[in-house]
Amino acid sequence: MKQTNMLPRLLTYIGMLVLVMLAVLPFVWMLSTSLKSQEYILSATPQLIPDPITFESYTKLAERIDLTRVIFNSLFVAVIGTFGQLVVASMAAYAFSRIDWRGRDTVFLLYLSTMMVPAVVLVIPQFILIRSFDWMNSYAALIVPSLFSAFGTFLLRQTFKTIPKDFEEAAFVDGANHFVIFWRIDLPLVKPALATLAVFGFMGLWNSYLWPLFVARRDEMMTLPVVLATLQAGPRSLTEWNMIMAGAIITVLPILLIYVFAQRWFVQGFISSGIKG
Amino acid sequence: MYRKLSLILMLLLTATLVLPSVAQENVTLRYFTFSAAPDYLEELDTIIAAFELENPTITVEVSSAPFSDYFTLLQADVVGNDAPDVFELNYENFVTYAANGTLLNIDEYLTGEAPYYPRALEAFQYNGEQLALPETFSTVLLFYNADLFDQAELDYPTAEWTWSDATVAAEAISALGDDVWGLFSPVQFWEFYKKAAQNGECFFFNDDMTESTINSPACVETIEMMISFMTNGYMPTAAQLSGVSDSELFLSGKLGMLVTGIWMFGAFADADFAWNVEIEPAINQKAHHFFANGVGVSSTTDYPAEAALWAEFLTASETAATVRVESGWELPALDQPEYFESYLTQTPPDNREAVFMALESPVTPPVIERQNEMQDAVNGLIGQVVDGELSAQEALDQAKEILDGLIQ
Repeated sequence: MKQTNMLPRLLTYIGMLVLVMLAVLPFVWMLSTSLKSQEYILSATPQLIPDPITFESYTKLAERIDLTRVIFNSLFVAVIGTFGQLVVASMAAYAFSRIDWRGRDTVFLLYLSTMMVPAVVLVIPQFILIRSFDWMNSYAALIVPSLFSAFGTFLLRQTFKTIPKDFEEAAFVDGANHFVIFWRIDLPLVKPALATLAVFGFMGLWNSYLWPLFVARRDEMMTLPVVLATLQAGPRSLTEWNMIMAGAIITVLPILLIYVFAQRWFVQGFISSGIKG
Repeated sequence: MYRKLSLILMLLLTATLVLPSVAQENVTLRYFTFSAAPDYLEELDTIIAAFELENPTITVEVSSAPFSDYFTLLQADVVGNDAPDVFELNYENFVTYAANGTLLNIDEYLTGEAPYYPRALEAFQYNGEQLALPETFSTVLLFYNADLFDQAELDYPTAEWTWSDATVAAEAISALGDDVWGLFSPVQFWEFYKKAAQNGECFFFNDDMTESTINSPACVETIEMMISFMTNGYMPTAAQLSGVSDSELFLSGKLGMLVTGIWMFGAFADADFAWNVEIEPAINQKAHHFFANGVGVSSTTDYPAEAALWAEFLTASETAATVRVESGWELPALDQPEYFESYLTQTPPDNREAVFMALESPVTPPVIERQNEMQDAVNGLIGQVVDGELSAQEALDQAKEILDGLIQ
């Protein structure tokens, strides 16, 4: 009896294993290429496990670019930008869900409709704006436009709406104002959604290419994806793929770590806000 | 704990908004380049240092971008009314920028002593005005793996070769092994206009530029010849290359002949087989690419005289020429044979003379104001012929219609 039940389960596991392998293989290949020397990358018989393993692409990368500065830029922009996004989105979401004011839903719909405008369309107007502020090559240019996230506001608004009004009413009776209720009562209750937004925000800012390419022209302001693109030789030279892959590994690592540590909240956030990935 | 952390992050966020901008004391010129990145930034610094030594009141601030993003960024700068004072342009894009008034006429600021190749200088004139200066030139040659020629018991390519000779050799080299290919000659816009010139009777436009003639029988024949390298099995298709670039294939020793630019000399220098170059085979006549990069001054610059001074130094000074030649960073467009002596003595390849022989039959690309649209359209249609979706005639008929629209 037990054996007949085993088969479907076994098949499911095998199927899942194949899917996992398909998902993981590009990452393994990326790691493998980063540990090869240039001549083995062009080898006609590809090696999955490099022989010999060499870290020369990592040292070369460190020689070619100011890694410390670039990683700092990426981290600074991603951390501060994510934090700012959480502050702005949570306050906006509170206003859109917990305070009654005339035209609230219309304004919310208008704000939400900005999600329908493709980001690339906004690049040039935003770029002209940033130039007129004299913000080129500054952290402000890299961070400020990302602070206003319609998606984040929507995500948190939906989560705030699930909190029973009784809590607030009790707090009002005790003399609390909106800020106290927002900070002490509502915000702690939406932590999983905040974590979800933080992961999304961080990923978006960390991987962002087009915007930093436009506004961070000086070497000392460039972020990782932009610097990696400069390493990719054009049609007039040979690309050192091992070095590009070493850079890609460095780029992927923080996202991977954040995802591993925030996984629990990440899943909870999706469940509580009713958003599917 | 959380409150403190939040406070710190909030302070940092505020700080980003009020960071002071860098104070400017000297005349600072902003120079934007694609050719220096990523390999020749140090050489560019050497040229800048020499310029700043001669002109202590001028500082040159460089920003660079990879070629693939360069023109997007330059366009954004121009649209944002904040173009760099001095910037690089390739010949194909020059007309677009010249026609829309982005470039300053620098005639009055030039010393007139710089020994430019007259043809190169003319290339960067528009409506009789000197709107940019020729910076460098390069060309495309036939690179060949001498070891594979020896294995196939073939004579090396000569200056008299036609494409029929090349295809015979390519077939013999392909027969050396399943993973060995005879020839790679790109199938795209840039290769097409050059092979059109080698054909001699295929022209993209009529003389007075009122109509496209890209679908003439000679042009159809040219495209069919380009595609035949693949269909006859001695040139790999994109699928067969599976992500490996043609240059990488050549460097791995599995490709007999490669049509590519002289900018690859450095990348192939350490190849573990013998290789050399020859001028390209002819169809009916010889024709070679003449790629030129130029340097223009923005029409909105606050420092036109200083910007023109830098543009001239960058393109024509002995320092700039020597640095370029010795580092292998493209060749200055100057009629000064002594600057090229060290270039000719470097090996590989042995036959560097071929670079200058190729310049005896130069072809510049067909250029219109809506250049990028033309290139994209022609490239897309050629791609469809490669994929077998269209015949050469059908693709070029469609190309004619599009090109006719673009020149209206």
